[in-house]
Amino acid sequence: MKRINCSPRPGWQQFAQSVGFNFHTFDGEPYWDETAYYQFRLQQIEQDLEQPTEDLHQMALAVVDDVVQSEQLLQQLAIPEAYWQAVRDSWHSAQPHLYGRMDFSYDGTGPAKLLELNYDTPTSLFETGFFQWVWLEDQLMRGEIPQHADQFNSLQDKLQQAFAELALPQPFYFSSVADSIEDKGTVDYLMDIALQSGLDARYIAIEQLGEADGQLVDLDGYAIEGLFKLYPWEFMLQEDFASTIISSKTQWLEPLWKSIISNKGILPLLWQKFPNHPNLLPAMFEQGQALKPGWVKKPLFSREGANIELITPQGKTVKETGPYDDSGYILQALQPLPKFVDSYSLIGSWVVGDSAAGICIREDNSLITKDSSRFLPHIILD
Amino acid sequence: MSREFKRSKTARLIMMVPAAGLMLTGCGEEPVEVQVYNTPDECAAYYNPPAQCQAAFAEAKALHPKVAPRYSNKRECETDFGAGQCEAAPVIANVENNATQSEPQAQSQQSSGFFMPMMMGFMAGQMLNRGGLAGQAPQTASKNASPVASQPLYKSRDDRQTFRTASNTPVASQPGPARVKPSAVKPKPAVKARRGGFGAQAARRTSSSFGG
Repeated sequence: MKRINCSPRPGWQQFAQSVGFNFHTFDGEPYWDETAYYQFRLQQIEQDLEQPTEDLHQMALAVVDDVVQSEQLLQQLAIPEAYWQAVRDSWHSAQPHLYGRMDFSYDGTGPAKLLELNYDTPTSLFETGFFQWVWLEDQLMRGEIPQHADQFNSLQDKLQQAFAELALPQPFYFSSVADSIEDKGTVDYLMDIALQSGLDARYIAIEQLGEADGQLVDLDGYAIEGLFKLYPWEFMLQEDFASTIISSKTQWLEPLWKSIISNKGILPLLWQKFPNHPNLLPAMFEQGQALKPGWVKKPLFSREGANIELITPQGKTVKETGPYDDSGYILQALQPLPKFVDSYSLIGSWVVGDSAAGICIREDNSLITKDSSRFLPHIILD
Repeated sequence: MSREFKRSKTARLIMMVPAAGLMLTGCGEEPVEVQVYNTPDECAAYYNPPAQCQAAFAEAKALHPKVAPRYSNKRECETDFGAGQCEAAPVIANVENNATQSEPQAQSQQSSGFFMPMMMGFMAGQMLNRGGLAGQAPQTASKNASPVASQPLYKSRDDRQTFRTASNTPVASQPGPARVKPSAVKPKPAVKARRGGFGAQAARRTSSSFGG
């Protein structure tokens, strides 16, 4: 695994705008960064990332099966009691899931270590599945990259196949928070792929969803029978329409049982069930103990690195503030991200259905990866 | 290398690229055949199995209080549908009421204070098996599944010939088979939807994204 400097494609910003990638620059700082790329060997991809991703996915599903059978665990994950039965039902009726992303600390050697699972509302999907893919094709065409280079990125193929095979109700609605450009970009990409799979895909902002007689309805008052929501389950369970999660005849993507895997509490539960697994880090629920050097503290519910605090083995505290300060916490052994040149890099590994589907790389100047962390493309070359 | 490429074969966009200019919805919807009658007896007289006529009528009648247009007083309703053509609209029990109410019958009789037109006919969404047509094999359940729901029909004061859906879409001017576009006759709840019940947590927290 190497980081290689590379000349950006001339005019790539205009191309980005033309395909709806409106958040390639974030607060004046580059978000999409093609001044360099990461290079992997095929063996690193297949043995160290692809296979562990599929193994960890199955392990996480096994933990879900434990959690739905235990009131104590549902309690520990702070899932409101009123929804326990609905969570169980969604699992036992095998409500299908679409996608997720797990984040690894990996430097090219040794086992990749799982930092967390983003299994409810993962973003950076368009950047991975489309923009990174086009970047490679363009750079191959320009001769900037050796002709036999490849990329671990079957995301769009696998999403298209999933939409074709899931037998979703139609029309199928996609929703996100109205004024989040980034979230809308992710949802637009999913809708685009769904349309290509022949689905009647329609958009509705999460704030515009209607409720009539317990049924979720669209803007014209028609029942919504299928809904993809880029909106966290733990938010929905606290809001005015929460009871519709039980009463509405709506098939959800992601299904409600994903609220167990997207919860950081899955990390201590994985460690309890599979102690000393090479891809796992020691983790426990926080019960008032002080954060020690070499450990990280994460809220049960948080996103984009928010509200995470860590102490390096040398005793230096790194802390990220944020809006997720109202849930419990877990502690996880610190596996510092590898440093290439002067940036720390994190590997996101995608899962579609139950298959590994590619990777994305994020870089930051800090040990905590955030939504503003730069996205860099990668290649496979032997 | 034994494996094939590890990247997608193609990655194209159709919606996110405005230049592609594809028509995505609406056009090209095929009309489907339905049947329209004043009464179940009239339906049976058109060589349809009486049991199927009754079933379609019952479905339409059950839908009637849920989809019929609602008026705040009888006069406004009669302005649109004619004198003596309106009735009191029942309360549409919501989900909680259904679960807790010990006498659901009493609940559905209760008036909401609103008025609605009387049901003047019905549309059978399923293709009825015509008893009078010899040699036609019985259709299977899956073949029978229609994209159109059986539903109540109404007639306005100034046009007593035309059968209209609850959302005022004209569908036929005489009993018998008719052709309709499924999306134009999709029943829509008369109850006004509440909005804004999701999204409050996002509004409370400052973040550019609620994914991760």
